[in-house]
Amino acid sequence: MNTLKNLILTAALSGMIAGPGLAYAQAAPDQTDPAQIARGAKAWADQCGRCHNVRAPAEFNDEDWYVAVAHMRVRGNIPGDVIRDIQAFLMASNKKK
Amino acid sequence: MGGTVLQLIRPGKGNSMMGLKPNRIFLSTLTFIALAFFLSINSVRAQEPTNQELLDRIETLEQELQYFRESLATNTARSEQAEERAEAAEIKAEAAARTAENAVNTASAVAPLPDTKWHLAGYADAGAMFRTNGGDDTFAFGHFNPVFLFQYKDIVMFEGELEFEIDEDGNTEVALEYAQLDFFLHDNITLVVGKFLSPIGQFKERLHPTWINKIGYAPAGFGHDGVQPGGDVGIMVRGGVPVGKRSMFTYSLMVGNGPRMGHEGNISFEGFGKDDNQNKAFGGRIGFLPVPYLELGFSFLKGKIDGLHGEEEGDAHPESISLDSFEFEPSTATVKLWGADAAYTRGPWDFRFEYLKSVRDPIYSFDEEEGEVALLPEMTLTAWYVQLAYRLSEIGNSSFLHKFEPVVRYGKFNISGNHHLEEANAQTRLNIGLNYWIAPSLVARIGYERRKFLEEGLVEKIILLQAAYGF
Ligand code: HEC
Repeated sequence: MNTLKNLILTAALSGMIAGPGLAYAQAAPDQTDPAQIARGAKAWADQCGRCHNVRAPAEFNDEDWYVAVAHMRVRGNIPGDVIRDIQAFLMASNKKK
Repeated sequence: MGGTVLQLIRPGKGNSMMGLKPNRIFLSTLTFIALAFFLSINSVRAQEPTNQELLDRIETLEQELQYFRESLATNTARSEQAEERAEAAEIKAEAAARTAENAVNTASAVAPLPDTKWHLAGYADAGAMFRTNGGDDTFAFGHFNPVFLFQYKDIVMFEGELEFEIDEDGNTEVALEYAQLDFFLHDNITLVVGKFLSPIGQFKERLHPTWINKIGYAPAGFGHDGVQPGGDVGIMVRGGVPVGKRSMFTYSLMVGNGPRMGHEGNISFEGFGKDDNQNKAFGGRIGFLPVPYLELGFSFLKGKIDGLHGEEEGDAHPESISLDSFEFEPSTATVKLWGADAAYTRGPWDFRFEYLKSVRDPIYSFDEEEGEVALLPEMTLTAWYVQLAYRLSEIGNSSFLHKFEPVVRYGKFNISGNHHLEEANAQTRLNIGLNYWIAPSLVARIGYERRKFLEEGLVEKIILLQAAYGF
């Protein structure tokens, strides 16, 4: 039990140090990139109705969507690259005409 | 005389006053001058002025004529210049407008968001409960749960949820549901530290908010005093790893302070700020999604709990210890929990299944009935439910009808090894409900609940009304 605990703690701490560097190197979601938006639309339809009703893009502005979707990255165990696609899609589709 | 004429041909003023072009004014002025000239010649003749006088007058007139010509030239030049300037300004204004429009478009399209972003979310609900046998009908204000989310770049997120409720006497109760830092270490690894909802099973972490939960109330065994842990304080690593094209494997593994012995022999899993023993609880959930709309999960947890002392520490009564009364010391026991869950969420269908079982080894702990530390036998809690909801979104053409979603849930909560808990909580529970979805996270619902208590066969029927809003 203790070995396991130490193992996890060590992994966690090294991750904490290495992590921000990794995260920083990732490209931000681009809401003008048609390919990313298209991937995001599909991932949104696949992932975002698994636990609750799919929330409409028009509900939130860019900042709110960015954060809410990152929240779902944790809650829904959704990989980061898929999350960035979904962020790009929602931020591209939330503008009221 | 010259002054008035000058005023008339001044660009701008003259133009607007007369509605005439400067040239025209000039022509009429010339005509006027010529006329004056002849008239003056006649009058000169009449009065027979001297040649010198005439020459002087001609000279004056010539000078005046010259003056008018010059001013006409400057004015024409000026007006031409003005026209050019106006045209240039118009072009510039058009360009500026275009730039501004572009800027607005760009700004709303790709303006970089600030490094610190935040979002205020949460949910609230209110309702009423009518019992068919005994008990008072009550209006129930359910919850007000604000959720605070702050994110710094893609490095870390803080998420915290408070729960406000009012108790039967009208007192406000506040609880910290979770407060955690999520470090995004890698696309497939997030490190969570703090107080988090238990990842065991699916109801607590995923379904319990009332705008999500199709029934609005927890299944038997999945609320307080149930099998499902509420939360824990510790660390957790979690994430999802794609397998092939559409499949995904998920994991949530935690080490936390773990459960504690409750006063009624129950196990409390509420997430304690301090560990009561040296043994952390270890557990988690592994999920597999062969396709995005089908998820299978397996959960486990292992921890230790310490038996309770009767009195506060240092509050022993030495005089009560006699030679013939032997008192037991509280002991430590292992708690093991495992479970399986499944979810099928395709189109209008929403099917859920969940099973959880926990076993606590025999333990010496303070027993309220005995009034002393006693050996409590092994305790087993088992809870499961199946739930099926079907949204009428594909039936007929009526958009009103499409908003309805009937739901049915059946579950059972079994308890052995703790008579008191068994009497109070062991039951089968049937729910039949109808949701009316005004928006994806705004619902009005009515439900019927039938509880049958296993110990004495007592049946309780309840009608539930609820409105829930997730924001
Ligand atoms: C694993 C289940 C699950 C999945 C998958 C999921 N959600 Fe959620 N979602 C939740 C839960 C649970 C909450 C409520 C959080 C709370 O109140 O603590 C929530 C809340 C929200 C909220 C309210 C704001 C907030 O952050 O609490 C929005 C918006 C949302 N989800 C959108 C999405 C989107 C978009 C996706 C797809 C990327 C998604 N959800 C996928 C479970 C899920």
